Amino acid sequence: MRLLWILLKKELRSFFVSPVAYVVLALVMLLSGYSLRAALSILERGPSEGSIVQWMFQPNWFWLSYFFAFPLLTMRLFAEEKKMGTMETLFTVPVETWQVVLAKFSAALLVYGLLWLPSYLNFELIRWITAGQVVVPGGALAGSYLILAFMGAFNLALGCLASSLTSNQIIAAVVSFTLSLLHFLAGLFIMVLGRRVSESFVDIISYFASMEHIRTFSSGLLDTRPMVYYSSLTLLLLAFTHQVLEFRRWKP
Amino acid sequence: MINAKDLTKRYAGRTAVESLSFRVEPGQIVGFLGPNGAGKSTTMRMLSGYLPPTSGSASVNGFCVFSQSLEVRRSIGYMPEMAPLYTDMRAKEYLRFRAELKGLAGAAMRRRVDEVMEQCSVQSVRRRLIGNLSKGFRQRVALADALLASPPLLILDEPTNGLDPVQIRQVRELLRSLRGRQTILLSTHILQEVEALCDRVLMIHQGRLLADDTPAALTRNLRSAQLWVELQADEAKAREALAALPGVRRIEDPPSSEGRDPDWVRLMLRLEAGQDPRSSVSEVAMREGWALRELHLQPASLEDVFVELASMDRAV
Repeated sequence: MRLLWILLKKELRSFFVSPVAYVVLALVMLLSGYSLRAALSILERGPSEGSIVQWMFQPNWFWLSYFFAFPLLTMRLFAEEKKMGTMETLFTVPVETWQVVLAKFSAALLVYGLLWLPSYLNFELIRWITAGQVVVPGGALAGSYLILAFMGAFNLALGCLASSLTSNQIIAAVVSFTLSLLHFLAGLFIMVLGRRVSESFVDIISYFASMEHIRTFSSGLLDTRPMVYYSSLTLLLLAFTHQVLEFRRWKP
Repeated sequence: MINAKDLTKRYAGRTAVESLSFRVEPGQIVGFLGPNGAGKSTTMRMLSGYLPPTSGSASVNGFCVFSQSLEVRRSIGYMPEMAPLYTDMRAKEYLRFRAELKGLAGAAMRRRVDEVMEQCSVQSVRRRLIGNLSKGFRQRVALADALLASPPLLILDEPTNGLDPVQIRQVRELLRSLRGRQTILLSTHILQEVEALCDRVLMIHQGRLLADDTPAALTRNLRSAQLWVELQADEAKAREALAALPGVRRIEDPPSSEGRDPDWVRLMLRLEAGQDPRSSVSEVAMREGWALRELHLQPASLEDVFVELASMDRAV
């Protein structure tokens, strides 16, 4: 536990001494500002079925920020240690590989959580400016952030794995971006295929349809299936990352 | 302290280390000597538990490097080649982070960090970013890191690489001051370093152990002492007379004959082990009436030993 905390502190520190965290934060703030603007303009047109929270997490702007965040946050984690040779100093002190993996992942997750803070402040700002005329439903808000945390954990774990496979940060970023995008697009099959396919196929696809998940949660509905889906995948990917790093010690 | 048995490491299509067996007793300073690419770093990586051996086994402080990796890591201070460090950290901050990882904490940790910074003379750069430090300082920060937890064994991969002569002397002094308290295995391709510092030399060439002895015994037992002779004589005659002397193995041409006095003949005699034919050379010169103006015995250096061993190895 103590070692985990030491490693986590160091990882968080290196996020904030390099420009990475600030660049990502600025990017996400900008794009989530655009999403909010889009949401507001929908509401302006007249009465709407969805709340401002639902509209906020629908536009393309939102998805753009979502996909850029993960590779930028994770590409450095292991690739840089490999490149610099610090992997060797790190794994010749008494730390377990899983402690390193967990510390790096948690640091990325915490920074990722921070990314959504400005959007929350935006909601509060709107509530304040419009003196409560625009209703920001608390349940929907909580649900949105909950599923964002689960989806984030999954994509960050994917990024960790990509970073552990190479010593080149660019390759790590590209691999992580591509895999995240593929996962997302697979979930879009529903939209493309519509009702032309059998019900059971739609059921399977909806397990990994991120867009569907966020639609459900941002309307304030909590569904345990996506939560289980994302958390088990996260664990699996972190276990893979652990194995990739351990492989060095077993390779004859 | 270290017990390596038949340590072998093969990379795809290349054998880096081949059945290396040696022991290092507690308290010794042992030099790992070999040209670049001889397998020194690979062996050190295996001993630190970073890489597994392809076959063979090794134990450090009684723990197996493969199955008891954490215990081994607690027993060693390892400084890898090229001194990799986190360039975005400040020197002191880095050392504190490393000290915490190695289990030090609180006031004791801070005191120890100050101590090793003092020992390695990096106090003056403690607030500077490691990325902005010169090679010499980085090297010493990495050395300070290895010393942090006062481990019983130090494994140092080319600790004086990139240092200037003054710094090299400082580092050697530092290592010498640790003699007896800590066991040190250091690698180098600089021969004087081994001669100046080590109790024992492990010579390694193309992944194989060539010799394992004290520096003095190695230079004594190998037939590599040279005798330089300069005479005013007919070259063929001189060669013939000197080659016949007891203790002379062969006569070699001096490396350079440029700018040489045409009347004088300068020869280099390779001697048999432990022989000193200087007096017989002067007797021959007197008898033949040759003027003698140089007679100089140069004891074998480790370099000669090394070259000799390496060439013998190739012949086998």
